[in-house]
Amino acid sequence: MNKGKAKGTLIGVLLFIPVALLSGCWDRTEVNDLAIITTGGLDMTEDRKLELLIKQYLVAPTSNQQSGGFSADMDVGSGSSIVRSAQGVTMADAVSHLQQVLSRKVFWGQNEVFIFGDRLAKEGLAEVMDYLTRHPIPRERANVFLSFSPVKEVLELHPPIERSVSQALRKMAENQTGLNISLKELAEMMAGRSKAAVIPIVQIMPKNGKQESFAYINGTAVLKDGKLVGRMNDAETRGIMWLRNEIKTATVTASPPHAKGPISLQLLRSHTELVPHIKKGNWSMTVRIETHDDIVENASELDFSTLDHIEELEHELENQIKRRIQMALGRAQSEMKADIFGFADAFYRKYPKEWNRNKDRWDDLFSNMEVNVQAKVYVSRPGVTGKSIFKPEQR
Amino acid sequence: MDMMKWLWSLIRFRQRLAEPPKPQQGNAQFGGAFSAKLALNEQALRSAYSNCSDVIFHEFYIGNRTRALLVYIDGLTNIEEVDQHVLAPLQQDVPAHSLADIRGKIAVSSIKPIQTLTQVIEEISGGNPVLLVDHEQQALAIGLSKWDKRAIHEPSAESVLRGPREGFIESIRTNTALLRRKIRSPHLKIQTMNIGTYSVTPVAIAYLEGVAAPSLVKEVVDRLKRIEIDGILESVYIEELIEDDPRSPFPQLLSTERPDVASAYLLEGHVVVLVDGTPSVLIAPVTFFSLLQSPEDYYERFVVGTAIRWLRYLFFAISLLGPSFYIAVITYHQEMIPNALLLTMARSREQIPFPALIEALLMESMFEALREAGARLPKQIGTAVSIVGALVIGQAAIAAGIVSSPMVMVVAITGVASFMAPRFTVGISVRLLRFPMMLLAGILGLLGLIMGIIVILNHLFQLRSFGVPFMTPIAPMQTRGMNDVLWRAPRWMLTKRPHMTGAWNPVRQPPNQRPGPDRAKNGRDGS
Repeated sequence: MNKGKAKGTLIGVLLFIPVALLSGCWDRTEVNDLAIITTGGLDMTEDRKLELLIKQYLVAPTSNQQSGGFSADMDVGSGSSIVRSAQGVTMADAVSHLQQVLSRKVFWGQNEVFIFGDRLAKEGLAEVMDYLTRHPIPRERANVFLSFSPVKEVLELHPPIERSVSQALRKMAENQTGLNISLKELAEMMAGRSKAAVIPIVQIMPKNGKQESFAYINGTAVLKDGKLVGRMNDAETRGIMWLRNEIKTATVTASPPHAKGPISLQLLRSHTELVPHIKKGNWSMTVRIETHDDIVENASELDFSTLDHIEELEHELENQIKRRIQMALGRAQSEMKADIFGFADAFYRKYPKEWNRNKDRWDDLFSNMEVNVQAKVYVSRPGVTGKSIFKPEQR
Repeated sequence: MDMMKWLWSLIRFRQRLAEPPKPQQGNAQFGGAFSAKLALNEQALRSAYSNCSDVIFHEFYIGNRTRALLVYIDGLTNIEEVDQHVLAPLQQDVPAHSLADIRGKIAVSSIKPIQTLTQVIEEISGGNPVLLVDHEQQALAIGLSKWDKRAIHEPSAESVLRGPREGFIESIRTNTALLRRKIRSPHLKIQTMNIGTYSVTPVAIAYLEGVAAPSLVKEVVDRLKRIEIDGILESVYIEELIEDDPRSPFPQLLSTERPDVASAYLLEGHVVVLVDGTPSVLIAPVTFFSLLQSPEDYYERFVVGTAIRWLRYLFFAISLLGPSFYIAVITYHQEMIPNALLLTMARSREQIPFPALIEALLMESMFEALREAGARLPKQIGTAVSIVGALVIGQAAIAAGIVSSPMVMVVAITGVASFMAPRFTVGISVRLLRFPMMLLAGILGLLGLIMGIIVILNHLFQLRSFGVPFMTPIAPMQTRGMNDVLWRAPRWMLTKRPHMTGAWNPVRQPPNQRPGPDRAKNGRDGS
């Protein structure tokens, strides 16, 4: 009995040894064999070829030998990355051409940022998105941006604080001052029911005196059927974020009519609900926004120890939010005819049959839809200082 | 398949060859008949102890009439006591006719009449002087053995901050006394047997009657009786001959030098095997988790004990998987490493000429070599080795560009982790298992790592120690045992013994021992 078991074990071991030895470490790739791409850029050349640009992290240590073993040199700032580019008919073609100019294997696994050029976006992102989502290596969590200036210029920036421009852009997006769209979310939007997508726009702040030029997020690009149809400015972007329930941090400044001065509030939390209605073939949308705010600055004559003044402020804030939303909504509905707020999904969830019957004329429905914005603002924490104590005439 | 058949026939042939000749057990080979004539007995003994310069034959006359012979081994017998309490009273001119008379004269408490030559030789070898008297069918073994032994010290391999500092020594009698001092109940039974054809080593089996399952005691005794060996020099000889799976890298008997640990296991229904000539005693059966327990867990407050135990579990996993996980991730799964970390790693690995696997094997074997060198060397040289080792493993290796600094960190952390194992045997078997794991990770990446883990877990789950599944109480699942595995429950919660060893007598202590105001009294007072 024991012998049979031992025999089985021996056969198992003997069979396993060739498995290990014959295969060896065939697909082993050391980190020294990888071209670690930190930022990927995609644009279209004049002759309508796809241009792929990458920012590769240079791992070769700079001459810092005297510091010896333990103190690894931390010079990872400027000059530690290079930008390479290649052209191709398709994305895969461009990648293979890129490999020709790199001594190391192209490694997308650490790429955290994709930047699309405006020319490519106008042609359509469908083809490159297919590669990026079909290929197993690129990260779906990577952030996507769109640039109206040449992508190469963005890639060649060296932010003074962060490790690379991709890191800087990523952190800015995470701060949620603008939209924070990942490759996965972009793919979902582009393939979703509304076929419209938003991508944050990256802009270069030009060099100004001692201030080096740097990249920052400003505004939003709107895509329809995978193609760039327009851009929204910063204020309109805030409206988009309110509607998409993506607003997390915000400082709202309002001046109620009788206040004689502005008041700033910080957003504590906010929730947006889309309530679609179809009545007698008439499609309409109610947007309910409920937000809680906290007063952080009072330059007015209002006294927040009295409820009347708080109500006045709340009313003013509600109007302000409505104005912002209407601004973004108006442009999306009439100018771009792009449902970037997820209205299509909301309708589909509530009225799947009607939606399916009418999905072909959705663009028409959307652009003519009546949208009713109901904002409710609560100033939850007025604090114990009612009036501003630094204005002597108010004492 | 022919090849396999040939291999197996070869193995079977070797097994047939290895069939051992039946050795004669103990001192039985000298078992001649005991004669009433002293001369014959003396002749038999002298021939048995021929060329034994340390055996003394002292001939004298009791009361100047009866011829007598005192045989003992020099160095194992308390000669002064023999002179004072045996020879002096017997040599006085007083009539002593029977053996009972003689026995009455000797002022020693431990006197045992023995009938056979085998027994005589056993007593002499054990250090007890034997008195043979002419015309008597019996001899007297006088319990005056005494030899030099080490004082009781704290075992250096199992030191604790709080708790008893005494440890077992090489003398089995002292060791049983240490146990008896912890557990004074007569329920503590200590059976003795001699094992070893030539060494004739006393081996004691200690257990708590009424707590240890009789079947377990019988199994241990049976397995011990099956041993046929020329000599036992350390308890590991016995361990290797009685364990359930002799090829397993994991120890299936616990060895300890601490009487408190042995007593704790006795109280849980385990059996302790003490071997003369070594301070380490064996405890059977054990489970995987008992190998990861330290006496300190129970001597600290339970919160601390629990935290330390969790830390130990974590570092056990690290010591097994640390370098292999690093190898797998850095050679196959670079996308799993956080961006910033990968860039730092890539930078430090840039000039390293070896693949990560070779690098890790190099450093790990270097570490093992240094540990082994440091353990065997005298203290004065040991420090030199550790200084050189720190240079080799640390700074110099990185500066020379042979290994990367993350690898040094991984090796160092793994090294520290393997020393976290409270039992050296566990630590070292895990350290050895690390090498195949590293190879698997180097060949197949995380897939290989998982395969290795599956094989190890498979082995652990099918392993048994004296019939007790090794992974108790995880498999078979026992919620009661979890109190002593998932955390170190406070003592008033540990009211039951572990199921597998304590089922014979499960209740350790009554419940409701949690300290606090006397609930019964308060209830009566109505407060």
